[in-house]
Amino acid sequence: MSVVTGPNPALSVRKAVELLGGMGAFVSKGDVVFVKPNISWDRVPKQAATTNPTVVETVVRMVFEAGAKRVIVADNTCNDARRCYARSDIRSAAERAGADVPFMEKRKFVKVDLQGEVLKKWEVYKEAIEADKLINIPIAKHHSLSGVTLSMKNMMGLIGGRRERLHQKLPESIVDLTAYFKPTLHILDAIRLLKARGPASGTTKDVEMLNTVAASTDPVKIDAFGITLFGNNPKDFRHIGIGEDRGLGRSDFTSEGFKKIDLE
Amino acid sequence: MKNLRRVSQILFLIFFIVLFIQTEYKGSNELGLPVKLFLDFDPLIALSALLASHTVRSIFLLSLIVVVLTIFLGRFFCGWVCPLGTLNTAIGYFRTRKLKPLRSEGRYPSMRPVKYYILTFVLVAAVFGWNAAGFLDPISLTIRSLAIGFNPGVNRMVRAFFETTYSLQMPLLSPALDRLYSGMIGTVLAFEQPVFRQGIFIGLIFVVVLGLNVLSPRFWCRYLCPLGALLGLIGWKQLAARVDVDGEKCTSCRRCVVACQGDATPFPVGEWASRECLTCYNCREVCPVDAVSIRATTASTGSGNVDLRRRWLLASGLGALLSVPAVTIGAHRKRPNPYLIRPPGALPEERFVQTCVKCGECMKVCLTNGLHPTFTEAGLEGLWSPVLVPVLGYCEYNCNLCSQVCPTGAIKKVTVEEKKEIRIGLATFDRDRCIPYAYGRNCIVCEEHCPTPEKAIVFEEEEAEDEDGKHFILKKPVIDVELCIGCGICEYKCPVVDVPAVRVTSINESRSEENQLYLEL
Repeated sequence: MSVVTGPNPALSVRKAVELLGGMGAFVSKGDVVFVKPNISWDRVPKQAATTNPTVVETVVRMVFEAGAKRVIVADNTCNDARRCYARSDIRSAAERAGADVPFMEKRKFVKVDLQGEVLKKWEVYKEAIEADKLINIPIAKHHSLSGVTLSMKNMMGLIGGRRERLHQKLPESIVDLTAYFKPTLHILDAIRLLKARGPASGTTKDVEMLNTVAASTDPVKIDAFGITLFGNNPKDFRHIGIGEDRGLGRSDFTSEGFKKIDLE
Repeated sequence: MKNLRRVSQILFLIFFIVLFIQTEYKGSNELGLPVKLFLDFDPLIALSALLASHTVRSIFLLSLIVVVLTIFLGRFFCGWVCPLGTLNTAIGYFRTRKLKPLRSEGRYPSMRPVKYYILTFVLVAAVFGWNAAGFLDPISLTIRSLAIGFNPGVNRMVRAFFETTYSLQMPLLSPALDRLYSGMIGTVLAFEQPVFRQGIFIGLIFVVVLGLNVLSPRFWCRYLCPLGALLGLIGWKQLAARVDVDGEKCTSCRRCVVACQGDATPFPVGEWASRECLTCYNCREVCPVDAVSIRATTASTGSGNVDLRRRWLLASGLGALLSVPAVTIGAHRKRPNPYLIRPPGALPEERFVQTCVKCGECMKVCLTNGLHPTFTEAGLEGLWSPVLVPVLGYCEYNCNLCSQVCPTGAIKKVTVEEKKEIRIGLATFDRDRCIPYAYGRNCIVCEEHCPTPEKAIVFEEEEAEDEDGKHFILKKPVIDVELCIGCGICEYKCPVVDVPAVRVTSINESRSEENQLYLEL
């Protein structure tokens, strides 16, 4: 995995992916690519409840540069989708880069067998599973139940139905979802870190500027790294252990191929 | 002139429908178009709100424009502008064609005074504090009926069609139609399928109003409409456009009587009734011998205005006087109704119901479809006024759309920042249903969604064991009374979907002095 720190989010994203071999290593010519940021809340970027719009824009541009035919950016939001898409600035940023930014409409959810430990039949967003590649770009936030919300938790935005019930067995659920969707690449936005009252907060008091972007194909690694940004130990987070046991990846993110660059 | 009038009617109807469709969030906090414009220009709305609430608002001045024009042009508003009038014209047209000139069918001259008695009732009731105008005012009636009754039905129908073609997965056709459908959602169709309590009944009343055209073309406008009556009284001189029939040319063919949109009897000669005239110009257009002229004059050209019976006027007034106590003895006056959660910015209850005209604009615009017409919660005086039903939709923290569209100020205009400080109720937990309390599992959905920056839902944490005997921290949610604004998102999102484990009631609402929990709040 790669970690890049620097004042320019677009450059950091580019560098982080470049360190993994460039977007061409993940996206092929003519691909339809589904990009999944966190657009869940009716919040503005500086409140750090939604993925940084520059990060989204840069990822979309890179995917197109790698030869993608079509890029879809969407999320199943918690607040009103129109407000979330607009106030997060993600819609305008992604459209500027040429992506389609549709609202997740009910008819486009299909019931599938997730074959998870706890999640069996559930509605998932059709365009996300039909796309050739899925790129996950969560923002690193505190979460009042799971402690943190990073790459695995971000998968909840691809399912429909009464998702609130997942909270009863959240670590198992998000591992199930990650195992099902198998994103091609995870790019973690830690430009602004939401340290408290997550996942929605609503005040800049809870935000710390970290100017950091991490990228990996391994969701366990990236989540384990993300946890350390909060000063916590990955071992204390159940989804890390469960994810590792299920073979989704490894929690010792520094073990192999770890590259860290400071662009300051 | 007749064609000009038709063009005017069609353009105003289209304008009305465009404003109606635009009464929805379109991606920015401020609505781009003045969506309540027709209500702003409506003198009956202004007058009844003014009488009932004893409050003059500058926006009422707009309706004076209609008043002044009416003095010169008579009921031009009915004939040229009113969207309900145009709908009635369109439906009544099919009936007009069947009427025979020599019969007096399709007219009920003795019914003509009824609308004036209705107006009397409405205005007297308003003086005594019951604002009943909105039930029958044509603009309010139309907006409410379309928003609550028709719009959900139309959406359902169109959506069902496109969702069927989508699910059939026909090559080429299905994707093409689906692109069209996606483009329609949020533009001509509502963003989400609207659902309203009482929708079917409010819609059916409108069907009856339109159906009255079977009895007579524009039956509603001719005999029942209180706004028509008010404009008829204001414009009876009709200085600039009086109908004058030349008795020497007239061949008594009666075509003008059949064509008349109102029930203004241009024939027999001299019996033209100015108060009933909708300035539609049909009589002049249809006259085969050019006996009818419409011109500016102070001379009396017709004496057909019906006399209003003093005893009926008195009876209407008395009826209003007697109904005011009858409709204002709702139980909510004795003790606040816990489920009467008013939108943020709503005036104190008594002044709120006096000012609200039940037009449904706030319900149409509500981002989450959370505002619904009341049934009995606010008594008969408050029937169809807005109530937030959190299980169906919550109050969005960053939104003040309802306060932007209220035509009378029953919901005060508040900025988003002001609105965030207004408490509309208080959430409380039902610990027998709440998952952490009752079943020992974590949930926290309410806390996660709680929008106040300093969360109004916090946790009591305790050590617990799960089914496999593993230790974990159980988070039991608790409400902070001083921070909760009663927005209801916790109730809406609660995973206990049927009767949520957290429910908002009206206590602690900022607008009330009595309905409070803490001494110092």
